[in-house]
Amino acid sequence: MTPYRILVIDDEPGIRSGVRQILELEGYAVAEAESGRTAFSLLEQTPFDVALIDYRLPDIDGLTLLQAIRKRRPGTMTCMITAYANLETAIAATRQGIDFFLPKPFAPDDLISVIETLLRHKKVREEAERLRRAHEESLAALATEQSQTRSLVACLHDAVLVVNRQGTVVLANRAMAALLGHEEPELLQRPLADVLLGPELAPVRALLDEGVAERAGFELYLGDRAYLVSLTPFRAPDGTVLGRILTLADMTALRRLSIEKARFVRTMVHEFRSPLGAVKGLLEVAQDKSLGDRLDPYLPMLARAEQRLDGLVELIGDLLSLSRIEAEQRDPVAPPPLDVAPLVEEVADLCRERATGRGITVDVEIASPLPPVRVAADDLRTVLVNLVANAVKYNREGGAVKVRLSPTAEWLRTDVTDTGLGILPENLPHLFDEFFREKRKETRDIEGNGLGLSIVKRLVERAGGRLEVSSVVGQGSTFSLLLPR
Amino acid sequence: MKRTITLLFVDDDREFLLGKRLFFEARGFTVLTAESSEEGLALLETQVPDLIFVDLMIEHYDSGFALSHRIRQDERLRQVPVVMLSGVASATGRRFDDKEALLQRWSGLDAFLDKPVSGKQLLQLVQEKLGLALEDDESATAHQG
Repeated sequence: MTPYRILVIDDEPGIRSGVRQILELEGYAVAEAESGRTAFSLLEQTPFDVALIDYRLPDIDGLTLLQAIRKRRPGTMTCMITAYANLETAIAATRQGIDFFLPKPFAPDDLISVIETLLRHKKVREEAERLRRAHEESLAALATEQSQTRSLVACLHDAVLVVNRQGTVVLANRAMAALLGHEEPELLQRPLADVLLGPELAPVRALLDEGVAERAGFELYLGDRAYLVSLTPFRAPDGTVLGRILTLADMTALRRLSIEKARFVRTMVHEFRSPLGAVKGLLEVAQDKSLGDRLDPYLPMLARAEQRLDGLVELIGDLLSLSRIEAEQRDPVAPPPLDVAPLVEEVADLCRERATGRGITVDVEIASPLPPVRVAADDLRTVLVNLVANAVKYNREGGAVKVRLSPTAEWLRTDVTDTGLGILPENLPHLFDEFFREKRKETRDIEGNGLGLSIVKRLVERAGGRLEVSSVVGQGSTFSLLLPR
Repeated sequence: MKRTITLLFVDDDREFLLGKRLFFEARGFTVLTAESSEEGLALLETQVPDLIFVDLMIEHYDSGFALSHRIRQDERLRQVPVVMLSGVASATGRRFDDKEALLQRWSGLDAFLDKPVSGKQLLQLVQEKLGLALEDDESATAHQG
């Protein structure tokens, strides 16, 4: 262990050597300075544990020296040794922070005990300083950690809300504020019951009321968004619950597919069950012989049962088309150029059969010459059959269907115009949705499964084309197909 | 002489209506049919059936509830049992069921049946709800003679 270092500053050589002899015997390392200047230079070079300062020095007074030591070497304990100790000096020295007074002359034991006391004080002071610094450091660390946590929580995509044991909100992030329709500061210090309003948040309130001890979670649908709600208690090291953390993690993107799938399946189940239920009901009538033993009375009924089964077969075909279009990658090689005119004529002929039965005319008007388009012939045939058949289907008795082809700078435009029912404006955005059908008194007699236009839309988009619809209720609609040239 | 029992079916599926009409008429019931909520309500202005069957998805996916609710609001029809038929309830998850249970209370429904449902099932329900004696076989065989 390195010995404690003591500096004796005194102009009397006798005092200096006396002190040295006494202290060296005790195992201290002693340095001597006969003047203030020597003391300064020694203190510059090395720190001392204790400085014994003569109040009267030839070049500088003891108080000035003391001041300098306290400033430059604050860790050095100081002791004034003077034969001229008086109250005034003592007060002045105390003000400068002197640690001890030792009046001259002093006995060796006095000196030793003073040094020991000073060193003990020094140790205590150093320990206190070390503790203070450690405390300050941990406070600083804590502050940094808190602000880090806050900024971390603030920028979380998940909505976070922390309540204390009393159920008061102590922390809420931006996402939570947005979810609850508040500004973040508005949420703080308010009872949880005041911020979780509305019937759709009832399950969350219930979860909090249950006072679930451990982590609990469930899925919650708010509007068309899906959230994973979890409630986690946070505890003190001894296990007591200090509060709870409520998080709502947005799972919409993850659930989007399953939400849409569930909706699709629900509709599909309905679309399959309705005809099956109807046909089963009609067959039950036959088995039951509700209309007697003769077959004739059952025939119209059985014909209608067959129609419903035809619809079901068509539905299955359309569903297969949809899934095939979904599955097929768009051909990286564009299909060969296609002359559209003959195909349009072919489709018109096909639809004319059904149209003439209801006195509807189907006319084709082709502005020539037409540019060829790069679209698969089968795809275009499906699109045109759907559009023209719809124009016939939703037309009035004796109405007209016009198919007009014209080139524009970028597109080949095909307008299919009818003189039929028209489409309600609020239904236009849903027209191409799967299974969407306009439910109106006028459409009740028209068969359909609501898949035709969704197939059309997919095929047209796959070909890089566009669809436009304009319609006037009671007058008719125009479906415009734009294919890239 | 026994009064005939009148049933009302509100459903937008015409073949379903036809099948049920033929089945119940063969058993001596009077069958009224309506293809929309509107039509059903119009019919109920002048008629008070003994039991009403309502399809869940008449116009929209849950408009059957609204119709049932409106029937319940009518003093004359308060005692008439309303039975909901649905082809979608069992195909959906828990959430939808919860909602339906709530809606069932709101709409004052007496029973909820999954489609497809046979005439015989419905007949049994009619007998239960109206406290009729089981006379299915007799009425069904009446036409075979």
